Amino acid sequence: MKSKPADIQLRRLDDYRWEVPQTGKMRTRGLIYATRDMLPDIRSDQSIQQVANVATLPGIEGASMAMPDIHWGYGFPIGGVAAFNLTEGVISPGGVGYDINCGVRLLRSNLSRPEAEPILEDLVNALFRNIPSGLGSRRKDLKLTTPMLRQVLRLGAAWAVKNGFGTADDLLHIEAGGQIPGADADLVSDKALDRGHDQLGTLGSGNHFVEVGYVQEIFDEAIAHAFGLFPQQITVIIHTGSRGLGHQVCDDYIKIMMKAAAKYNIELADRQLCCAPITSPEGEQYLAAMAAAANFAFANRQLITHWVRESFEQVWPAGPRALGLELIYDVAHNMAKIETHTINQVTQKVCVHRKGATRAFAPHHPEVPEAYREVGQPVLIPGDMGRYSYVLVGTPQAMVETFGSTCHGAGRLLSRHQALKAAKGRSILQELAAKGIVVRGASRGTIAEEIPEAYKDVDNVVEVVEGAGISRKVAKLHPLGVIKG
Amino acid sequence: MLIVNNSDPHKSKSGYRLIAHSADLGFRLYGESLADIFVNAAHALYGVMTDRRKIRGLECREVVVEAPDVGDLLVEWLNQLLYLFDATGFLGRDIEVQEITSQRLQARLRGEPLDEERHQLNTGIKAATYHNLEFKETADGWQAKIILDI
Repeated sequence: MKSKPADIQLRRLDDYRWEVPQTGKMRTRGLIYATRDMLPDIRSDQSIQQVANVATLPGIEGASMAMPDIHWGYGFPIGGVAAFNLTEGVISPGGVGYDINCGVRLLRSNLSRPEAEPILEDLVNALFRNIPSGLGSRRKDLKLTTPMLRQVLRLGAAWAVKNGFGTADDLLHIEAGGQIPGADADLVSDKALDRGHDQLGTLGSGNHFVEVGYVQEIFDEAIAHAFGLFPQQITVIIHTGSRGLGHQVCDDYIKIMMKAAAKYNIELADRQLCCAPITSPEGEQYLAAMAAAANFAFANRQLITHWVRESFEQVWPAGPRALGLELIYDVAHNMAKIETHTINQVTQKVCVHRKGATRAFAPHHPEVPEAYREVGQPVLIPGDMGRYSYVLVGTPQAMVETFGSTCHGAGRLLSRHQALKAAKGRSILQELAAKGIVVRGASRGTIAEEIPEAYKDVDNVVEVVEGAGISRKVAKLHPLGVIKG
Repeated sequence: MLIVNNSDPHKSKSGYRLIAHSADLGFRLYGESLADIFVNAAHALYGVMTDRRKIRGLECREVVVEAPDVGDLLVEWLNQLLYLFDATGFLGRDIEVQEITSQRLQARLRGEPLDEERHQLNTGIKAATYHNLEFKETADGWQAKIILDI
């Protein structure tokens, strides 16, 4: 936690790549995607050491990687990507994070900015009314029984669609179809279930949000067209995860993995790296419980999508068809998945941990939805609430280099305490309103903690992943209305 | 690092400070006794979530947690309080440690469930973590450091 300059020497590979040379107990090298200008900030915490620590884990394939939005995390750095083979490799809850399947989804619409602006305030108010947000947010209208909750954990977004929240077409535009296979609700503790009963369909607090925006700039017309994006078009971003249920699954399995690491004689550079062989009972159990929590998160974003659509219909009486609020894509940025990749010309299955990193598959990959098969997987990179967010697309280079992964966001610049101090005496809501951005939040404190200047400029992060060729810019979205936790 | 004094640890030898870092939050805890550390940790936790002065002592909760050592017991304790909050909305005002060893804690909490009309909502906490966890006996009593995921 304490800021201590890392003394690890980095070797410059090119303008966007820095190597952490393999030393000591590292089994492979580290690879950090960043510009030279970003390094002082990256060095200000222990994240480079964390990249090196991950490289000591058994069965790691390729480099221990970090995306340009790297910062200090628990065990694994945020922005970390690490793949492990299935013979001696490990799975670690610390490589996924507490908010299992925290992720982002993007909806498009038929509305243009001039049409939406007059109803914007009403729309944001409707969203705020219809989607519970903030600390301890729960749904009074949807408290799940245990058998229902267990179905959610098994079926994910498909449960929501089956129960009238969304369309079958939505499921075609979600990573893994919104349902991670192998989920086992029996491996999710009663405590985790207790936390999930009335949190499905809620946003939570922190950096989670629903944002109405418009397409400000298009960088690649053909791909934007394939994603159904056009200039000035109204879009909606939803950013949330598996709520308390996921946090509890992580906490439960960290304790199990601490024992497992000792049992399987895995030497840990940091306790929060605790892990078990992927094929061990503990490893398989975590993967099945993580899949269950991930499915809860997919269902959560699906339900919120339903209430987003309802909110639009409440203020825009033309009906759902005229609105055209269709799902472009939903992608996770805290997840471990068994995927097939080609490493040194050998095609093999690996367990890819992405913690604060987004899957970014190339054109023609079988897991890219058919509608985008020719252009590649949409990647959604939210920025702060005052500036912009990005739509990127996966590239062949990402498949070769990063197990089909890229960055996930801007990353914080100020601590929450510093942000509160910076916001003191100011009306953040008025400042944003002056820029044409309507914001509603459950707490004034959270809005102050999330002021735009608390975040790094997401432009810099996106410049690195595009420069390195691991994704490409498609469109830039500008916020108009935001609801925050 | 930024420090907020909620009580002066040098005077009372018991209290907590917030440790702030770009994306995270932690507590540095001081106590004359082992029990003080756990009481102060609970107050620090609720203080981050809401304005503690507004919590009324309407209901009681009994909490028992166990762990292999005293540091892990602190993690377990805070995570149990977060569980109680998520599952029932409970916010604690008075914390009484009834029995404590380095591996087991039994406590009684008096407080009330979250009432959005009355309670100010601040930062949500995902979990207490084992990262850089510190727990030590000093000349003045006990000190601990714990980092939270928010």
